[in-house]
Amino acid sequence: MKTILKREILHNLYSLRFLISLALLLGVFLAGAFSYVKGHEAALSKYQIARSQYDEAMRKDAESNATTLAVTMRTFTLRPRDNAFIDDAKEKYLPNAAVYSAWNVFSFENKSGNSNPFLNKHDDLNWAYMAALIVSFVTLIFTFDAVSGEKESKTLALTLSNSISRGAILFAKYLSALATVLLLLLPAAGLNLTIILLAGRTPLSLALVIELGVFLVLVCLLAATMAAFGLFTSVVTRHSSVSLLLSLCIWLLFVAVVPNSSTFIAKTIYPIENSETIQRKIDAAFDDLNKNAPPGSWMSNSRNPFLPQHELRARIVMKRLEAEKRIRDVYYRNMFRQFERTRLWTALSPISLFQYMSEAVVGGGYPRFRKVWNDLHIYQTQFLSFFKDLDAKDPKSPHWYNPFEDVSTTRLKVEAAVVPQFAEQPMSAGDRARAALSFLLISSLGACFIYLLSFVLFVRYDVR
Amino acid sequence: MIFLIARKEFLNNLLTARFVIGFLICLVLIPFSIVINIVDYRDKTVQYNVDSDVAEKAVKEIRVYSALRPEIVLRPEPLSIFSRGISGQVGNRVEIRIGDKPMLAAGKTAAGDNPFLGSFFSIDFVEIAAIVFSLLALLFGYDVFTREKEDGTLKVQLSNSLSRSRLLAGKVLGILLTLLPIIIFCFLFSAVVILFSKNVMFSAFEWGRIALLFLISLAYLAVFIFLGVLISARSRSSVTSLVLCLFVWVFFIFIVPNVSAYIAESFVPVQSRDNLDRVVNDMDRDLTIQTQERQKAQNLPTGISCWWCNWGDDGRLETYGNSRANFEIMLRKISISELLRIEYADRKWAPQKTYLDSLIRQSRVAERISMISPAGLFRVIAESVCSTDVRAYESDMEQARRYRETFIDFLRNKNIFASYRYITAAPPESFQTEDQLIEIRSGGEFKTAREYYEWAAKQKDQYAAWRKISKVTAHGDQPNDFPFLSVSDMPRFQGRSKTIASGLADSAVPISILLIECVFLFALGYVAFIRFDVR
Repeated sequence: MKTILKREILHNLYSLRFLISLALLLGVFLAGAFSYVKGHEAALSKYQIARSQYDEAMRKDAESNATTLAVTMRTFTLRPRDNAFIDDAKEKYLPNAAVYSAWNVFSFENKSGNSNPFLNKHDDLNWAYMAALIVSFVTLIFTFDAVSGEKESKTLALTLSNSISRGAILFAKYLSALATVLLLLLPAAGLNLTIILLAGRTPLSLALVIELGVFLVLVCLLAATMAAFGLFTSVVTRHSSVSLLLSLCIWLLFVAVVPNSSTFIAKTIYPIENSETIQRKIDAAFDDLNKNAPPGSWMSNSRNPFLPQHELRARIVMKRLEAEKRIRDVYYRNMFRQFERTRLWTALSPISLFQYMSEAVVGGGYPRFRKVWNDLHIYQTQFLSFFKDLDAKDPKSPHWYNPFEDVSTTRLKVEAAVVPQFAEQPMSAGDRARAALSFLLISSLGACFIYLLSFVLFVRYDVR
Repeated sequence: MIFLIARKEFLNNLLTARFVIGFLICLVLIPFSIVINIVDYRDKTVQYNVDSDVAEKAVKEIRVYSALRPEIVLRPEPLSIFSRGISGQVGNRVEIRIGDKPMLAAGKTAAGDNPFLGSFFSIDFVEIAAIVFSLLALLFGYDVFTREKEDGTLKVQLSNSLSRSRLLAGKVLGILLTLLPIIIFCFLFSAVVILFSKNVMFSAFEWGRIALLFLISLAYLAVFIFLGVLISARSRSSVTSLVLCLFVWVFFIFIVPNVSAYIAESFVPVQSRDNLDRVVNDMDRDLTIQTQERQKAQNLPTGISCWWCNWGDDGRLETYGNSRANFEIMLRKISISELLRIEYADRKWAPQKTYLDSLIRQSRVAERISMISPAGLFRVIAESVCSTDVRAYESDMEQARRYRETFIDFLRNKNIFASYRYITAAPPESFQTEDQLIEIRSGGEFKTAREYYEWAAKQKDQYAAWRKISKVTAHGDQPNDFPFLSVSDMPRFQGRSKTIASGLADSAVPISILLIECVFLFALGYVAFIRFDVR
């Protein structure tokens, strides 16, 4: 088997397809490295300006008074990730900011200016893109004629006339394809990494090394799956040209058809209520509250904090906040569910599976946003407790909590340094593993199944 | 002789697995893309109807001119079924404000109501066609000479009195004849699906554009056939030719379009949107200060009590039940603020235009880089033909900007900024003095305003004090006392004209490049075949 493995690897290394693949990968990785360095620098500088304004606004509000600090709505924006050169996880098309105050986490948004609407949607030239597109293609190119090609050149019968099992031959071909792909990927990825590290904006840390290592394991899994498909097309046909056509059909299905039908699946199979309906529900809830509100609830033309109507208004405004929150939280949950279920459909494609695992490994994309969203809710309750404690200590406050006005709660100043700040915590290893586990299982089982199918078909293959 | 060779090639190809599989790919992918995009178009049309009704209602159900801010709803482009272009990434609603020139349309994008769906990509007919037609052309072209050379039939053919150019022409014609039924099938099938779809109605304009798209597809197909022939004529074996063709295919179809957008995004920066928003906010603050200063110069008070007021953005103020003096003050203030607002819209447009230009510049650079690939050219031309490109969008926005000017002229011609109709539906002759209003509302308990204010100042419960002067509702205190405003004379927005030739001038260059590529590749293939060693 070692001999066959060595022969296959050498055969691949000396082939034209290896040279072209290497040139292609080197070219794209090189373009990707320079573009990333330039683009990441601009994104970081934009983020830093926005962040300093966010901090400054918070400091000013704290210096004004505690109620202003609590009721002002702020937009927390996610920082561009330093490991986005591995996988940007389509973050520029996902919501990347959340709006909150001490009273609620209101909504999320894709902060304007994140992407140019006049530019066609595209992937960044990162490692995940190279793997999903080029590695998957190259793996098929190295395996589609592994069996049918040898049959055409009459060498398969000769090989099998030796004392070697069919299983060993197939496995050697399988391993050789994987080894070849790795030999292609490593120098190109190494070059990319060197340029990015030399640019100096991305520090090399242990976490990054581990992420890179796990990512490469995922690439191997993707290559293993695609190699299994390549072998399958090779043993299911007698001619390499037909194997190639089948391989290309499978690749197109995985790269273009399945992932690009996601929006259609989401809207057709998992429709959610539209924003107009949600707004109507909120308006109806508000109307209901207004009808049942005591007279004078909306009177507000006085700065006297102890005006009794301020208490009435505080109550109705709080009820409105709670009613809107209930409706919106259900709406947001439906959005998350629609997105997650649609992704499960696209798990039919090993390339989509790889992308979902990859975003979990780098701690980006949708799992990252969900973590920030959940963490922000926890922080908001802490922020509210902090504010309520301050308010409770102020004898000049009537303690009528109004989430949108700074009239009937404490007007004391706060030291900016003691205000709890929200900081994004990177996804832990456990979070990442949980986000990737189901996709990892599907992918591994899929690869094993297709390989076994190829093995069964190869055992029954007529080599004459 | 050429037709004899072409016929032989055609019949040979018909019997091959690649023809069957190629046909099956089209049979699956074309309906897939058409159905998905018809559903998408249906959704956009539903949204358009909802938005149009809301916009129409908003114009009809107003009582004052300050609330009159017509909203343009851009009709979805039926040809987006074939090529989506940027139509799924931009909104469809443009509010005409006097304080701002329209920059980008608002409204829902293809992601609809769930912003997370924005991370899913979609595919349209043109992209599927770009992928499949090029693949089929290369698969039929890669072994056009190498296979016959390997079989030994090429030298037999050339040993007869058959010129190489005739053989080449025959073979190329044969491949074209083989692929023509597949392309015709794709377009016919799409046309039939559209004809039988309840949700889509195509006019002569759209059918004309589809015919044009068909012709462009033929040119695109020819480019890849000639490329396949060239590679075949420069290769020693079919395997080498095949590998080269496939990598060329992946490079042109999948890598170049993506690389072009990413490189443009990284190296051609757009202005910061946050920065633009800051600049515009600063100008709005300056507008408020300027307005207050000018009002102060005319001895107008800063704050003013209001009986029924509905304040909104862009100068919206609807008010009722005020004293004659207060109505007069409000009108004088509005006359100052609205003219300044129009002046500041022009000032704000300078940075907004710079931002907009930077977005357009970035997309143009991406477009130009993508034209390295015939697939990029095909896509650029298709978007232009289907009116879903940036130019068509900008043309719509430019029309909206012109409409805003027409709308402001309409308001100015009515001298509306100096008329009470801008802020209230109550006729000026019905305005009363504050003393009269207090007397009516208090049911005669207070005869003058002074009497009431002196009494109210002594009360602890301000709400109860206010209740005293809301015992009786006077006519004209509420907006419901007045009918809606009739704006039938308001100019309406006219969209851009649609003729077969409109908007095509911009695609003349990419079409020319595509045709030049055709000729150039054919010439190269011809020279390569003339020098081809058939042994």
